[in-house]
Amino acid sequence: MKNKLRNRNSLAHDSLTTAPAAAAAAAVGTSRKMATLARTLHLVSRIRPSTVLSILPRAAAVGCLHTTSLQEHRGVSRVVQPAIDKTSWCSSSVRDYSSKPPLTLDLIQQRVLLVLKLYDKINPEKLSVESHFMQDLGLDSLDHVEVIMAMEDEFGFEIPDADAEKLLRPADIIRYVADKEDIYD
Amino acid sequence: MSHIVTRVTTHSRKVCSLYKRSLRNLEAWYDRRYMYRYRAVLLRARFDENKDVKDMRVAQQLLDEGEKELFSLIHYQPRQFAYSPGGVAHGREVVPPDWVLDYWHPMEKAAYPEYFARREQRKKEYIEWWEKTYGKPAEPAH
Repeated sequence: MKNKLRNRNSLAHDSLTTAPAAAAAAAVGTSRKMATLARTLHLVSRIRPSTVLSILPRAAAVGCLHTTSLQEHRGVSRVVQPAIDKTSWCSSSVRDYSSKPPLTLDLIQQRVLLVLKLYDKINPEKLSVESHFMQDLGLDSLDHVEVIMAMEDEFGFEIPDADAEKLLRPADIIRYVADKEDIYD
Repeated sequence: MSHIVTRVTTHSRKVCSLYKRSLRNLEAWYDRRYMYRYRAVLLRARFDENKDVKDMRVAQQLLDEGEKELFSLIHYQPRQFAYSPGGVAHGREVVPPDWVLDYWHPMEKAAYPEYFARREQRKKEYIEWWEKTYGKPAEPAH
């Protein structure tokens, strides 16, 4: 892909550099020669955008394939991996690669509860937004550390220990994440 | 600045912190999830082995040994969250604090009369709410 791009760039570069030389040569020759040269140059400049258009999608597709296979190869990396199905918030044709999904309080709650339900030491039937991790769900402090780490991985930011020890209910975590991401009602 | 520890933490907090840092260290070394999980379960078993130690001297010694072991195994380039302290994008975007708006020139404020009128109103409401919730601020003694 890169080679093609480079070739295209060098072609464009050549046409740029040859244009003055051609013009100088034409100034020496007859005006008829100049006219034909100008016409061919004009034709070349006409053709190039179409070839560019035909090359670009192919190159983009190859790039996509390359990145996906790389990701599969590297396994799970520590980037934001939303647990909720993405189709709800990225249904449009525009893809913003570096932006996060738009969060709402409801979406944060769904994601927090889903992460907690998938944790094997928590009984999903007993889980609610107001249940206490230690008293209601029977976790110990190391399990709590694991829960907080899962939340860090889910939302993609670090939760310092001093804050983590206060997050004892799912509601606290939702509140904390919403405050961090500047989300109000 | 909540990530700076400014007070004495309890022993159990220190153990939790050690556990978390050890897990993150394992995560940095083993990027395949199943390998990481295997090591994480082994680590958890080692922590659970000594969870009923009542003698504080023994517990302190175990903690020190754990810290020493973690230091010897620490990853040379651990993964960081991009926007958290230590990450590549931490502090990249500077969000000006809200009080900056109060120091606008009156001419600048006059360009947005509606917004600044509402802002003054909100400030009054906030002061009212503060005094109702926490009481009036004490007068300085001198």
